[in-house]
Amino acid sequence: MKTILIIFTFLLSSITVVGQGKFLTKQGYTSFYSSTPIEDIKADNNQVLSIIDTSSGTIAIAILMKSFSFEKALMQEHFNENYVESDRYPKATFKGKILDFETLTNKETKVTIVGDLTIHGVTKKMEIQGNINSTEKDISLKGGFEIEVADFGIKIPSVVANNIAKTIKVTYEFDHKPYQK
Amino acid sequence: MTKKTKKLLILYFFAAILVVSIITVKIYNKPFINIVESKPSLSLASEALLSDFINDESTANTKYLEELIQVNGTITAIEKGKDGNDIITLGNENIIGSIICHLSKNEENLKTGQEISIKGICTGYLMDVILVKCVIIP
Repeated sequence: MKTILIIFTFLLSSITVVGQGKFLTKQGYTSFYSSTPIEDIKADNNQVLSIIDTSSGTIAIAILMKSFSFEKALMQEHFNENYVESDRYPKATFKGKILDFETLTNKETKVTIVGDLTIHGVTKKMEIQGNINSTEKDISLKGGFEIEVADFGIKIPSVVANNIAKTIKVTYEFDHKPYQK
Repeated sequence: MTKKTKKLLILYFFAAILVVSIITVKIYNKPFINIVESKPSLSLASEALLSDFINDESTANTKYLEELIQVNGTITAIEKGKDGNDIITLGNENIIGSIICHLSKNEENLKTGQEISIKGICTGYLMDVILVKCVIIP
């Protein structure tokens, strides 16, 4: 948790120095989807914080686990209490670099983002594909990828093992605006 | 075993299955908390909530997360979210950080500078404190 704070403090404090160059959204969207023959489970989160530093192409994302909203209250309860243990690990984070960021033009382009994804206190190196559209007023970034539940040390009890997929589909959509303050 | 007891046993058996399935479905479909009709467990000013999170985030997490809380403050921004619902920022222009309230349905006649009371579920702190499923208290 401390490191996240340090990263954001660093990112923010550098904003005041550089002034321009930081794009941010506080209402980014991410969802995940688990599909099994028994049931499909989907959760949405519209409160994601994402910051892009255009001078280096680095990106920092923070997600509140308790912000995921499910179709059923019981699913949300199980997700928070039993699976991701959101009292102990309230946030998921990603910090990484958008490759070839400096060569982007004002049209939608495929990009690769490499970095560290931390969920449930476990960090894993990821390579994520996305579509980016970067202009002076707006950087939109969206895409999807898959994660293995077991990679992040999340234990699913055998009783519900057939209800929850081992591979979860994640989608994201962030619309960053220039940061001013 | 007579035919009658056999019949009764079968009847009991199916009755038991029925009761168990009704309970299972009830638990499975347990509703979300009704924000409009529920009483907030806490009521405080937006600055107080923010400073609690800034000073000690983990203590604030145990105190506020998943709680329905009432926050009183001044609107500094109104935006439209991706889902079409309004997002209201409560705070003070001179302080970095605010309370971001995601409304569950849109309200008419809100404007910046207005003092409001709002209740919603606290999901945590990023650069700001986040409240979801918010409802304005008239």
